[in-house]
Amino acid sequence: MIPSNKTKDVVLTALWDDNPVFRQILGICSALAVTNLVLNTMVMGAAVVFTTALSGLTVSLLRKWTPRVIRMMVEVLVIAFYVILFDQALKAYWPDMSRNLGPYVGLIITNCIIMGRAEAFANTNPPLLSFVDGLFSGLGYATVLLCVAVVRELLGMGSLLGMPMPFFSSPLWDRWIIMVMPPGAFFTLAVIVWLARTIQVEKDTKKETKS
Amino acid sequence: MALREKAWFPIFFMFVITLCLSAVIILFGSITRQRVKDNERIAYERAVLQALPIELPPRATPSQIHNVYITNIQEADASSAGALKYIKDDSLVAYALPLAGPGFWASIKGLIGIAADLRTVTGIAFYEQNETPGLGGEIVKTEFRTQFRGKKVAVKGVPLEILPATAELDENSVHAITGATQTSNRLGSFMNEQLAAWRKGMNNQP
Repeated sequence: MIPSNKTKDVVLTALWDDNPVFRQILGICSALAVTNLVLNTMVMGAAVVFTTALSGLTVSLLRKWTPRVIRMMVEVLVIAFYVILFDQALKAYWPDMSRNLGPYVGLIITNCIIMGRAEAFANTNPPLLSFVDGLFSGLGYATVLLCVAVVRELLGMGSLLGMPMPFFSSPLWDRWIIMVMPPGAFFTLAVIVWLARTIQVEKDTKKETKS
Repeated sequence: MALREKAWFPIFFMFVITLCLSAVIILFGSITRQRVKDNERIAYERAVLQALPIELPPRATPSQIHNVYITNIQEADASSAGALKYIKDDSLVAYALPLAGPGFWASIKGLIGIAADLRTVTGIAFYEQNETPGLGGEIVKTEFRTQFRGKKVAVKGVPLEILPATAELDENSVHAITGATQTSNRLGSFMNEQLAAWRKGMNNQP
């Protein structure tokens, strides 16, 4: 089995220290594209978690057999496999959501987070640990996306998960249409990255002064 | 491992992996194919019913929708110039004219219901669109769609005008979606073109 402190390390790194979105600035395209409704974002997040976790596991299982020269081809193939499965399942069992997300589910294949984790982690680590790494990298990504989505849907449409919110749906609140449009995503994401990094810098300086 | 050193091994490896993964996808695809087809069909039938003055229960199941559809709707023929027909007690109540055209991101497909007088709009509905969620995507929401109900086509100017949200409305105009000017304009242009063509076809009927 994997030592539990190593798992904990992997989890924390994936969620905060090396968070794919605000530390590595990966996966920005979809973070901008599907975050104007919270429900869509949740499904998108679930799709990414599913893909990073299982592709990490698979790539790691195959790692001893995969010839180095074609490892990236194999990684893309494995990633595409899981994404297509998810897309097909959505089409069959949740057609409305599949229509909402349109091409973005398929575009997860090109999401740099997944490829990045396969290359940087799953290639050189045991399967279970790679699964955990993928799972939490996906969750780290999904959390940031959800934060962006909550801000955008609330300010832009006055609702959360489609339900009108007090104050924000009343005439007192003039809906910020720009939050629903693409520029709103840039502003919100920038503010979130800024906040997260400020917190991190403060943490680091505290550590330094202590030692 | 000696096998891994062979020059052909990468090709063989890739081939085997591709074979295994695609087999799973094809299998899963064939299991869900019928379901996906049914979903598309139901989305279409629901749109037809929503465009017509037919009350559907708020959470109608696919089989309920299908039953209402087959008992009330007749497919298009020459006498309806390409529109579906809503027949109730042997008399024609309304037509559902299919609409299709470019949206902002991808094509929009839907139907507009016109009563037997060829004038009164009974509703509009969409079954295929990929507009921005929260903006152009609002065309599928009831707030936008109910505006059309009861409007009179071609009282003046184009059959149905889509005006900015601040404009005053009359008998043949509705409000556009704020922030989705492109979607509204494109929908307006193909809707009017196809409505005008259909009315011409209907008026030329013997």
